[in-house]
Amino acid sequence: MSPPWQAAMQAVIHHPLFGVGITLAVYQLALAAYERTRWVFLQPVLVSMTVLIGVLLAAGLSYQEYRDSTFLLSVLLGPTTVALAVPLFLNLKRIRQLFWPTLITLLLAGLLATVLGVALAWAFGAERMMLMTLAPKSVTSPIAMLVAEQIGGVAALAAVFVLITGVLGAICGPELLRGIGVRHPAAQGMALGITAHAVGTARALQEGEESGAFAALAMSLMGVLTAVLLPLAVALIA
Amino acid sequence: MLLRGLTWLVLFQLLGTALNVLFLSMLPGPIIGMLLLFAFLLLRGEVGEPLSEAAGGLLRYLPLLLVPPAVGVMVYAEQIVADFWALAGALGLSLLVSLLFAGWLMQKLIDRQARRGEQS
Repeated sequence: MSPPWQAAMQAVIHHPLFGVGITLAVYQLALAAYERTRWVFLQPVLVSMTVLIGVLLAAGLSYQEYRDSTFLLSVLLGPTTVALAVPLFLNLKRIRQLFWPTLITLLLAGLLATVLGVALAWAFGAERMMLMTLAPKSVTSPIAMLVAEQIGGVAALAAVFVLITGVLGAICGPELLRGIGVRHPAAQGMALGITAHAVGTARALQEGEESGAFAALAMSLMGVLTAVLLPLAVALIA
Repeated sequence: MLLRGLTWLVLFQLLGTALNVLFLSMLPGPIIGMLLLFAFLLLRGEVGEPLSEAAGGLLRYLPLLLVPPAVGVMVYAEQIVADFWALAGALGLSLLVSLLFAGWLMQKLIDRQARRGEQS
């Protein structure tokens, strides 16, 4: 490469909009790939993440610089988290009939999902930082990331754990649930929403309308409960 | 319309941040903002057109907004490799157990409620 080309290349790579540009482009490609194949493993966030890490390494950009140049996107994460209150409110209106079963299942199963994950990782010898990152794994990503950061974990890792949990749950959840005799669509939806959040909810929607509604409700309630109770619990124990 | 809804969302987020600094240091600002907005919706009993438009628009692009923070994993590659099996085992097992428990419990509770309903 001749010097002027190199200079132009450097100017493009270090432009403050470079991060936003590649993120938008890669995300749309990943989304198209997912919509074309409908393959659960091709979660757009997971695929974009992998491709972007490759691009950054190839271009020799540090994560810090990428982070700074995607400020336009990350600043919107706050208002989007606030916006989660809207689906929560809309879903809450649907459950009048099954109020107590929903509430009891949510509290017990949500507690189990959180405590068991942390306890197992601790028993297998993971570090404290990893434990705190793992704790909010069953919650939708923006909440999990905020909570993980708050209790001393790593937001980026939390986002990945959340995705893996969701994809696993969505892939094998419905089959396993039917296997142990869980037939009611509300019960299937609750199980998917509590443990596998947004990905599980998408899967539950494929199973049916009622199942999807309960999954969405379980996901939003689980998110709010975790956001409020987990930091409190950690503050009390530690 | 969209801008009006967006203004509300940002307003609730900023309110959450203020409360976070003033009283509730254990809850992140956006979470407090979400709880406030939820309480506001409960009081009002409905979601207004501007708010639902802005919320729907933002939530549609939520996965995109999550990409930059997720790329941060590249900084933690070493820690992931060090704890890989512990993490994979904990994620997989706890998911399996809690998923089945949640489904089973909900099914039992629904069945019981149905039986009660028949008796009374």
